[in-house]
Order: sequence, then C-alpha cells, then structure tokens
Amino acid sequence: MASFQAGNITLEIDEDGFIQEPDKWNDEVAAALAKTEGVETLTEDHWKLVNYLRDYYLQFGVAPMIRKLCKDTGFKLNQIYELFPSGPAKGACKVAGLPKPTGCV
Amino acid sequence: MKSTDRAKRFSENFKQRITRQQALALAACAHCGICADSCHYYKVTGDPKMTPAYKADRIRRVFKRQFDWTGRFIPWWVGAEAVSEDEQLEELKEIFFGCCTGCRRCTINCPFGVDMAGLVSLTRSLLIDENMGPTGLIKVMRDQWTTGNQMAISDQDYLETLRWLQEEVREELDDPGVTIPVDKKGADFLYIVNPREIKYAPMSLMAATKIFHSAGLNWTMGSKGWDNTNYGLFSGKADLGRHMCNLAFTQAKILGVKQLVVSECGHGFRSMKWEAPIWGVKVETPIQVVSVLQLLAELISRGIIALDPRRNPLPVTYHDPCSLSRSSGLTEEPRYCLRRACLDFREMTPNRINSYCCTGGGGALSMTEYTPLRLRVTRIKASQIAATGAVSVVTSCHNCADGLADVIKANKLTAEVEPGVHRPVTVRTVCDCVANALILDSVSKQPLEPSKKL
Repeated sequence: MASFQAGNITLEIDEDGFIQEPDKWNDEVAAALAKTEGVETLTEDHWKLVNYLRDYYLQFGVAPMIRKLCKDTGFKLNQIYELFPSGPAKGACKVAGLPKPTGCV
Repeated sequence: MKSTDRAKRFSENFKQRITRQQALALAACAHCGICADSCHYYKVTGDPKMTPAYKADRIRRVFKRQFDWTGRFIPWWVGAEAVSEDEQLEELKEIFFGCCTGCRRCTINCPFGVDMAGLVSLTRSLLIDENMGPTGLIKVMRDQWTTGNQMAISDQDYLETLRWLQEEVREELDDPGVTIPVDKKGADFLYIVNPREIKYAPMSLMAATKIFHSAGLNWTMGSKGWDNTNYGLFSGKADLGRHMCNLAFTQAKILGVKQLVVSECGHGFRSMKWEAPIWGVKVETPIQVVSVLQLLAELISRGIIALDPRRNPLPVTYHDPCSLSRSSGLTEEPRYCLRRACLDFREMTPNRINSYCCTGGGGALSMTEYTPLRLRVTRIKASQIAATGAVSVVTSCHNCADGLADVIKANKLTAEVEPGVHRPVTVRTVCDCVANALILDSVSKQPLEPSKKL
C-alpha cells in the first residue's frame, strides 16, 4: 500500500491509486487526485460530477450506474469522457474518493 | 516434515482435480527456455524467475512428487517437492495470480505446446479453495454467483439502462423506430454483453444497437443471463464457469433463438464457445455461439451495411485480445471490418496469434495488489503501439480496453492527431469504428437470415 500527499494530508492509496480512507477526502484531495488523472484544474462541471458521485457513494455505498450519473447531472455521455478522459469508473470515481470498481475495469 | 492442514488439502485436491491436459503440460516441459522470450513479464524484467518454465516449475515439483516415480523415490534428483508449508502456497499465489495473465503466448511458442494457462487455472482453483484468492477476484466471483453478473447490477438498473440507451440512440439517429428489444421470443439471436457496457461504458452497446437496427436484424437482449463474462475462467473454478454459461444458454433456450452473439469480450467468447463443453455445460437444443465480430464481418461482406471509411480518417491499429486470437482463432474478422471502416489501418508487430497481452488479462485488472508489476511490464505493448503512430488502438475486448488504457497512461503514449498537435492515444472498439462509418441511407432493410457459414 502506497501513500499519497495532498497538501498537508497524507492518505493511503491502493496500487491503482484509489484512496483507502474515504473520511479524509476533501476538495484539496480531489484536486490532487485529479492531477493524477490528467485533469489539471477542476472546473465547475468537474465539481458537479465529483460531488454527485461522492454523495451517491456516501448514501448507497456503491458507484452509480452511468445512466443515473447522466440523468441526475444532465451531462451527456461524451461530456463525461471529455471531463475525465479515463472515464467515469477509473477517472471520475477516483477523484471523488470512491474505491476502485471491481471486475473488468 | 509435517504438513499444515492447508498444504495437505491442497495436495489432496491437486491429485483429484488435475486433468489429463494439465498432467501433459506438467510432464512435457524439457526446460528448453524458448518460452522465456515469449513472455512479456520476462522480456521486460529480465528476471529468470519470470520465465514461464520457472513459474510452471513451482507447481510442477508438486506434480513430480506425487505422480512421477523418480519424484517419489529420488525427489532431490528431479526437483520434486511436496507442498507442506503455508509459505509455499503463498509463493504459488504470488506467481499464479500476480505474475501470469494466462495469455498463452508461451504456449504457442512452445515446441510441446505446454499450456501454461491450464496450469494457472488448476493452481488458482486450488488456492481459492484454501481461501487464498485475491480479494478483488473473489468479490467478482461472489457477485456472479449471487446476482448473475460481475458488477452486481440489479434487474431494474439493467432494464432501465437499456431503455435509456434506446432513447439515446433514437435521439442520435433521429429515428423513433430504434429499439433494444428485451426477451423477444423468436428473435434470430440473443446479444449478451459485458456488464461494463451497462454500468460504465455503454458506447459499444449503443454502437451495436445502431448497427443491428440499420441492418434490420431480428435480435434481442435477455432480462436474465445477459452477462457474457465468466470469472470461472480466471479463477479456474469450473462450477462458476458452468453456472455463468448455463444462465445464458437457458435464456437463449427460453427465447428460442438460433444464435448467441457475444459482444466484444475476449474471455467471454472463449468461455461460451470453447470452455463451456469442457466445464460440462449441456445444451439440449443446438445454439450457435458467435462473436459480434463474425456478425459484423458478415453484414459488411454481404452488403447488408455500407461503410464510409472517411468518417474514421485518423490512423488506427488493432490489438488482438489473447482469448480471441490465440485461444479462438478470430484474427481476420476484426481486420476485415477495420480495413473497411477506417481510412488508415496499421498493423502492430507482432500481431495475430503472436500479439502481446494488453497486460490486464486473466483477471489481472481485478487484482489490485499486483498492479505495480503489471504496469511495469506494459513497456512492450506500449512500444508496439507507439511504433505504429496510430492515434487510436482498437480492440474487441472490454478488459483489453482498460488494460490498454493503463498501458497508454503508464507510458504517457501520445500520437500526432494533426501536424504539431499530440494527444494521448485513445482506445476504441470495433463496433464503435463500424458504427461511426455506417452510411445510414444506403442500408438495406431486408432482414438477414443467420448464415450457415458462421
């Protein structure tokens, strides 16, 4: 298990770069994780997605279906890939502090 | 030496479970070393412990101790050794889960055809029975057992997603007639997908819908048994393999379809087509298992759909998924499609049955603990892709798609999209390229009868 530095916070991350301590997640951590995903600055649109994912995960304990993500945030599929080039699973979910999705991803 | 309970059970199960093919693979190795140069783990690390023959020897010594008379009487002479301690099992776990994706590149380069993937299956299944499987892999297996799909997607979420995608395609094509039929009795074929297409990346299913609709095909998806993936293959657990195949075949039987068309998934196709009979799956009415690649190639060759390659003008290359090329012989169909759907198709070298693994095969993507080594050995695949200068690497496997995305990211692979402008290489599917090149107006509306050739 490696560690990850975001400002003054040190977090444990798994070998794929997903944080292991969701309680320590904050805006600063999200911005630092975004850089590892090739997103230099988090815009308002990025935050809309990230906050949605974060809230959904805290409420249900899983990542939302892409359908829910699109319908509830109003983004089209291609917009999500434009915002997070690694896609919703490995990009947006990582930045929102979710654990690594399981299976063929 | 006294054996631990785990080691005893492992040895006992080894004796019970080993198949003749696996015994042959264990007996035939002459340690000639040709396999070393075929393995991407060895080629990148240069570590002798990464040669397939060395890795296989960790389980071969157990075989020799139990089955070979020289191993029973003079074990020290032939390198035979019983498993007696848990540490030995830990070592096996590290090798058979963490240092081999079961890609079979060593197998086709081996003068004896020693099937390393068979040994991986056997050893993994024995370790899983001792509760030594990697957490990620076990989670996916459990989800397949309990929910019938690897991402634990509920029936409601699955069906709502199909309806949503139907709307999306209708809007995109400006055609209210587009449907994604569910449980349509008497359809010609049942289309089964990778749950990744439902949960996260539905572009390939949208592309397939566009193509099937345009070709006027009589198709359906199933409300049950819709997951074509099979972690019975990656875990070596035949009972799970059988279970997942049975779910799909049962649905096909209920709907009375003639064919089961497997979406772009390497191991899913291999499981349904080739492994199912080995796992003892019995299908009463003959149902043909076909890859969507075969279907696409047929639609193009019979003129049912027409393509304009100018819609995909930038250079693309094709990555052969191991389960489709080496294990299934599907090497020409994707190329046939891409040459007609894209303006500039370039071959990677080596290719077809000699292609290197995407590095994420064999369930490696779900085993996070081995990611550092996996990313390290991405170098070979990365240099292969880079040498083509392609802007996109196309593949026909969802697991490969994410494996390749990791290759691109770990090696910061970029390509020139226009003079002086470099962007990260993208990953696409064959369905995506074909759908993008589809000439909608010229499409024949004649229904296609399933071909006997397939």
